[in-house]
Amino acid sequence: MSDQVFFEDVAVGQEIPLLTKSVNTVNINMYCAVVWLMDRIHFDYPFSVERRGLPNIVAPGNMACDYYTQLLNDWIGDQGVLKKLTVQYRNFMLPGNTLSCGGRITAVEANGVTGTVDLELWIKNEDGVTCVPGTARIELPARANQ
Amino acid sequence: MEASLLDEMGWVPYIGSKYAPHTGEPVTARDIRRYALAIDDINPIFFDREAAKKGKYGGLAAPLNYFSWSVGVPGAEKPTSELGEDGLSSFVGVPEIPNAFDLGWMRGGEEIEHFKPVYEGDCVTVTGEVVDMKEKHGKSGTLIFVTSVFEYRNQDGDLLVKHTVTMIATPRKD
Repeated sequence: MSDQVFFEDVAVGQEIPLLTKSVNTVNINMYCAVVWLMDRIHFDYPFSVERRGLPNIVAPGNMACDYYTQLLNDWIGDQGVLKKLTVQYRNFMLPGNTLSCGGRITAVEANGVTGTVDLELWIKNEDGVTCVPGTARIELPARANQ
Repeated sequence: MEASLLDEMGWVPYIGSKYAPHTGEPVTARDIRRYALAIDDINPIFFDREAAKKGKYGGLAAPLNYFSWSVGVPGAEKPTSELGEDGLSSFVGVPEIPNAFDLGWMRGGEEIEHFKPVYEGDCVTVTGEVVDMKEKHGKSGTLIFVTSVFEYRNQDGDLLVKHTVTMIATPRKD
């Protein structure tokens, strides 16, 4: 619990530690297999490129929500709570991409024993293109109440 | 005044229509472990019951975003011969509206409000409703936005997630 972040530690404008995710065909395949997602654009290169006009097979967009969930949970620690996540799908996440997942605090509100924190979120590929912008609301414990 | 694709499709009366409820089978430790491997989130709370017990959820729970998959995809588990060429039989988030697949669909965005995680052994039920449809005319043609709200509950009736999904339908190019 030594690295628990508290409400008193955060401020508007602050950025949270980045999470880097590598998109590759093995993880995409694992994801499709485990959730039974059989849309060919996630695993069939000729179909994806020739029939759908995509640059490659594409990662399921939903994986962005998993990346954000990991980004936030890694930061908020055991006592933090992810309340709400919002995403907009703008650009595909493709095999070979190295994604930087990050966030910046946009609002803070003390709430008695906890504090509510709003963030804007981004997932950018190595070319700096934002693939899936988002927002989140989290709750952090207050140090005063420890 | 441009012609309305939404009117042409006859979909407006379906705002307010409900999705058939669907209940998943019990979530297993294997589901949780494999999902964590797929998203490459190697937190011991997804792999080890003891670590999970001491961790933030107090027991073995799936990565939070597993909630929708814990129900399965209604209609997706069909013999290969019954699937479309694209590998799909239906899309999550597309209601039963006439000629839905005359248009191409993609996921526009979503809002996920978390109340409780999905634990090992949970049987999750989803219910949903179409809450809005609207149309936009842009450079790339006409887009129809269909917004649905889904609620996920466990076997005790506890609300786990409120999930708002916006799907975008557009005339197919192929």
